Amino acid sequence: METVETDALTIARPSSPQDAVAAFGDGAGITVFGGGSIVMVELVHNRLVPEQVLMLDRAGLAGVRSEAERTTIGAMTTVAELETAVEPLGTSARGVADREVRAQATLGGNLCAPPGAESPRGDLQGALIALGAEVRSAGAGGERAEPVEEFLQRGSEPRLVLEVSFETPAAGASASVRRPHAHAYTILAVSGARTAGGVRLAACGVAPHAVRLAVAEQAVADGAEPAAAAARALEGVTPADDALASAWYREQTLPVLVARVLNDLR
Amino acid sequence: MRLTVNGVQRELVSPPLTSLLQVLREELGITSPKAGCQQGGCGACTVLIDGQPRRACLTALAAADGAELRTVEGLGSPTNLTPVQAAFDSHYAAQCGFCTSGFLMASTALIEAGGGTDRAEVIEALSGHVCRCTGYVKIVQAVTAAAAGDVEPASVEADMGAQGKDAARLIPGSPA
Amino acid sequence: MKAVGARLPRYDGVAHVTAKTMYVDDVRVPGQLWVKALRSPHDHAKIVSIDTAAAEAMPGVYGIVTCADVAKNVHGHLEALGVPGDEPLLADGEVRYKGQPVAAVAAETEVLATAAVNAIEVRYEPRPAFFDIRLGLDPDIPAIHQWGPVYPHFGPYNHRRVRKGDVDAAFALADTIVEGVYRPQAIEHCPLETQVALVVPEANGRLTIYSCTQAMYFSLGVVAAHLEWPLNKLKFIGGTVGGGFGGKVDTATETICALLAIKTQKPVKWRFTREEEFLASSTRAPWHIEIRDAVSKDGWILGRRTLTLHDSGAYSRFSPYGLTKHAFHHTGAYTIPAVRFDGFVVFTNRVPTTAMRGFGVTSVSLAVETHMNRIADVLGLDPLELRLRNANRIGDTTGNRVVMHDPSTVVVTLAAAERVGYQLGEEFAAMTAERRSGDLLPEHLVGQQAPDDQSLVVHSESSNGGGH
Repeated sequence: METVETDALTIARPSSPQDAVAAFGDGAGITVFGGGSIVMVELVHNRLVPEQVLMLDRAGLAGVRSEAERTTIGAMTTVAELETAVEPLGTSARGVADREVRAQATLGGNLCAPPGAESPRGDLQGALIALGAEVRSAGAGGERAEPVEEFLQRGSEPRLVLEVSFETPAAGASASVRRPHAHAYTILAVSGARTAGGVRLAACGVAPHAVRLAVAEQAVADGAEPAAAAARALEGVTPADDALASAWYREQTLPVLVARVLNDLR
Repeated sequence: MRLTVNGVQRELVSPPLTSLLQVLREELGITSPKAGCQQGGCGACTVLIDGQPRRACLTALAAADGAELRTVEGLGSPTNLTPVQAAFDSHYAAQCGFCTSGFLMASTALIEAGGGTDRAEVIEALSGHVCRCTGYVKIVQAVTAAAAGDVEPASVEADMGAQGKDAARLIPGSPA
Repeated sequence: MKAVGARLPRYDGVAHVTAKTMYVDDVRVPGQLWVKALRSPHDHAKIVSIDTAAAEAMPGVYGIVTCADVAKNVHGHLEALGVPGDEPLLADGEVRYKGQPVAAVAAETEVLATAAVNAIEVRYEPRPAFFDIRLGLDPDIPAIHQWGPVYPHFGPYNHRRVRKGDVDAAFALADTIVEGVYRPQAIEHCPLETQVALVVPEANGRLTIYSCTQAMYFSLGVVAAHLEWPLNKLKFIGGTVGGGFGGKVDTATETICALLAIKTQKPVKWRFTREEEFLASSTRAPWHIEIRDAVSKDGWILGRRTLTLHDSGAYSRFSPYGLTKHAFHHTGAYTIPAVRFDGFVVFTNRVPTTAMRGFGVTSVSLAVETHMNRIADVLGLDPLELRLRNANRIGDTTGNRVVMHDPSTVVVTLAAAERVGYQLGEEFAAMTAERRSGDLLPEHLVGQQAPDDQSLVVHSESSNGGGH
């Protein structure tokens, strides 16, 4: 493993996933550098002064593989490579920034994006939740596999994302609010998939990270029509104001998007 | 750290996590990439890294170590413009010019990869580049013209066109 | 006149496409320091104390300035136009908008300058903040500006007034009153090049100032006034502005850089971050415009009452001038014989507003044109025909009593209609700009028509070909 040391900074650059896991350890004091599209902004504006950096670009963590109906995506796979992924992941990947940033940004970074202060972050999270994806991560206590929505709820516990996997759904659908003033940012997006376990729904833009719309899902499972299920989408969800849109606006539009997705999934 | 910039090998002394934007502008004096936002949001800093358009403000020196960089300084000269540069000039695709470097590099990459003749594709490829002056129409026209090889010679001469009373009046009945 | 109609290259085009165009941030001067500003985190607050001692002692810090370093801290940028000064260069005793500069540091790197800014200790006592211009004249709202709630120097008035004809009579005669409220909002100029200046102290005591200003001589005067220096000690170097759109007349960075260059005797550069550009640089103003028109059922506008509230932000800057231009155009391209216009420049705790393309006029144009459509809608008339009927014609006078000699309203409206294939009634399609008479001169328009004086009419026999 390559290591660069200057006075105040150590950069570890592992050349295998095992080395990456070992270098990460329990993650304390480690700044993970994936694609860099999030971390570099913090570094350039001096909001982050790292002491130990773990650069993953050579750690062999990129790549998409499919076996039978199961797709596994390495954490360092770029968002650009996911533009042609199965729905709803493909649509959410195509909606991220522009092609230059997508070519640099990674799945792992997007999954771990800290909540944005001015706008929602982590567009891929909702699609992965809808797909019922599992994330395999390393850190304190060793490796762990868990549903994406549980991983996201762990908050600031340091984890090194290794890969994400999911079964190909019977159908996938997306709907989002995009407005000119928001440029490439997503104000609100709903992802849905018809999986072996039933219809799954998730939303980006109603919480600091993507959330599963469990109440609406249950309504669908109980036989509700799309409009009726969509009407319950706001239960358990508390949108907030940010620079792109108000909580009120998100409350108005969430049920509309959910209804669209449910109709598309039929 | 080493970079090849516009064909010239350079040894860099900037710290490894310095952005390429800062390395190019401050250490190497290559000022074509601009600090429009330093957050990856505007595209004014785009350069080619191993032939691919990337935001210099989002790329750490260490991440680009060993790569080949191309900037506007490595395109054509005033008396020998590349087709993309000539097209931007002749189509008035630059007004204040501050966003132009990023657009030129992204357009160059697009055309070198065989694209640029389809307007929708051009718009998608350049969608991360913000221009506050031109309204984008002439930029897209310049790129599609360059991609189609429909470009005037290396430097643009004045075209004096129709003169005097033969010149079309813009407003019928105007006393002007 | 060889250039008109010809296709000419931009003189700077080749430089733009070869990256030879030099912007302020591209200028390289040895030993240059970087500037960062301490900005108010509060919309409105008293400054209890400022302590720069810790910051001054930090490594790489060469100088810090506050209001105490400015010879003339408050200077009216439009004093020559009768707008007295009200805005401090650096905050003095209080802050009135989030982002207002309180102090500035020059240091070896941006990182060191930012660290020093963070080490300046300022104690604030927050005050209530005011943002709703509709409440601007409410006596229960405490004034945030030393002049009161609104700019008070429009002659003897606290508002810009236009009075012409008998508006009350017009409203009594009207078949219908049409009302509308128009609220164009703030717009951030967002040029790709952020505000930036580089100031170099010369050995002979002069300053060389590389500036992104849109108005070199204007900014030269502003810097000289704040420093109380003679003009000939300053050399401004301008050039290509990386987008201004009106926001780079504010002289936002030059003066503070000049102070730091004098203090440190080193070149200093201040380049706004994009965040600073959004937070602290000026914007186009929000406006609140209420129009009430007295109209006849066949589409004459007999009289207009207008109330405009302009959001100046925390200080006047150029707002009185913008409002005056707005007032001038409040009848649009149309002849309205009786008008009553009142416009107020209201102070709020937002970033001071400034010029942006069409300063003062785009807001009233939006309001007037939308209102014309509203009138057409209410009366069941064609919106273009409504405009053609009321359009300025030769000999008509505006609300300010300016006589129209060659108004283009009719000609341009007809040309536009023809271009888009818009069908107009025969009578309307045949209209011209000629002096009103007959059906186009109803009783209520007789009084506003200027006397038919040949000496005032532009010569209609033009020579053919050749320029002027």
